[in-house]
Amino acid sequence: MFTDPAPNFNFDPQSAAFAADPYTTYAAMRAIDMPYYWEEADTWMLTKMADVEAVALNKNMLRNNEAFVSEIDRKEQQRAINFHDMPYHERYVQVNLLESEGETHSRLRKVVFREFTPAMISRQREAIQTFVDGLLEELSDQNEIDFVSDFAAHVPGHIIGRVLGVPDEDAPKLRHWSEEVVRFFDPGREDADKARAEFATKEFYEYLLDLLATREAALQDDLLSRLIGHRDAGQLSQDELIATAMLILMAGHGSTIDVLGSGMHALLRFPDQNQRLRDDAALMKTAVQEMFRFESPLPYFHRFATEETEVGGRKFPAGTRFGLLYGAANHDPVRFDNPDKFDVGRSPNRHLAFGGGGHFCLGNHLARLDMDVIFSSINARFSGIELADTKVEYKRGLSVRGPKALRMGWKRA
Amino acid sequence: MVKLTFLEADGSQVETDVAPGNSLMQAAVNAGVDAIAAECGGACACGTCHCVLPQDWFERVAAPASDEIDMLEFVIEPQPTSRLSCQVVVTEEMQDMVISVPDT
Repeated sequence: MFTDPAPNFNFDPQSAAFAADPYTTYAAMRAIDMPYYWEEADTWMLTKMADVEAVALNKNMLRNNEAFVSEIDRKEQQRAINFHDMPYHERYVQVNLLESEGETHSRLRKVVFREFTPAMISRQREAIQTFVDGLLEELSDQNEIDFVSDFAAHVPGHIIGRVLGVPDEDAPKLRHWSEEVVRFFDPGREDADKARAEFATKEFYEYLLDLLATREAALQDDLLSRLIGHRDAGQLSQDELIATAMLILMAGHGSTIDVLGSGMHALLRFPDQNQRLRDDAALMKTAVQEMFRFESPLPYFHRFATEETEVGGRKFPAGTRFGLLYGAANHDPVRFDNPDKFDVGRSPNRHLAFGGGGHFCLGNHLARLDMDVIFSSINARFSGIELADTKVEYKRGLSVRGPKALRMGWKRA
Repeated sequence: MVKLTFLEADGSQVETDVAPGNSLMQAAVNAGVDAIAAECGGACACGTCHCVLPQDWFERVAAPASDEIDMLEFVIEPQPTSRLSCQVVVTEEMQDMVISVPDT
């Protein structure tokens, strides 16, 4: 084994200090000349862009360790993280496109990819615009709002729900189930949260079964109907269909709320950049790209090495678990000039907020379109946007990043 | 080194020298060809590194694998000689090849 250098930082991702500013810790982690071993999670944490990118692109680095861990050991690991004895969660959440590799992953990804191409997603622009306009209109008489709970939280459920074929009135249910299920991926995993995650998965499953039945009776122009077609053509099983629908609804949900909040927060923290964007709407594309880099909403994923692999100049044995800190890599000064500066015109801006390699985020075009429509609409409708409470608290933990609330004032332009 | 030219949709040309063994995508990214977004980094997983090869070169380079063919269905305005640049490996023989890069 390697000798750990004595780190000059305290890596405690559940702490308030880390939530307030993870980037100082990331910079200290990048400064040591090897990956940092996080004992608590038995994981080698990668913070340099070159290392994170290399592992994300390495075909021998997998999301799951089924290839080299026996079923008995896997069950034991599942028990150790309290992911056992939850039949619905195990069947529809723990196994899906994101968690699969090889033939299963390629087959499922092919089915879903065609639904999220720029051409398919651009068909949603008008619906997104209409929904956003309606929501902004409702809020426009208020001089002060919580951008997160009053606005951002309402958006992605409606949009992704609409893509899938969920009626608008059910969007709040999706948000509830999504949050209950996703919360259980955070460290801690108390039994009470486990029960809630399992119950939410069961309700979510039963809801989707009912919705599938209505689509089977009369197919429509939506993703769920097309998934039924793929199922009937033998391209995916019923379980895979349910798990895929759940994944689509959950994957684009919390993270979009988070990046809307952090994106708005960045504009308010850097008023010169906000003004630059207001003066030149053509910068919206690079501004959105920068929002994802600056506060990457899903800053942490993992991979397992399936064979002995060299990472960051050292060899690691097969079975090693690596932590890919996208949030850290996206602030690596080797790749980005002034990485802690928010620059709406940054170009090139090749970051890893959507991951890299075979698991590259399928929803990236939809997320970008949401952001483009939303920030363009806000700039057109409102002026004098400013923080009403400068103390903005971010969520704790390693795997998500976004403000809990964002009190801000605005007025009709 | 192999000299390549990327011809962008606006007519501008980017010349670059690249070592054999790199992908066309890596050559384009390193040369600052903005239209090659290459979002996934070269895993044939995003379809954002679309390029069009000259007919004679298209016939001479190794044929696309099935996953690339699947992905090429989804690029904007695919051409008969379209490729994903991340899947084309640069060889010595490609000296002076001109690769078209459609607008994205």
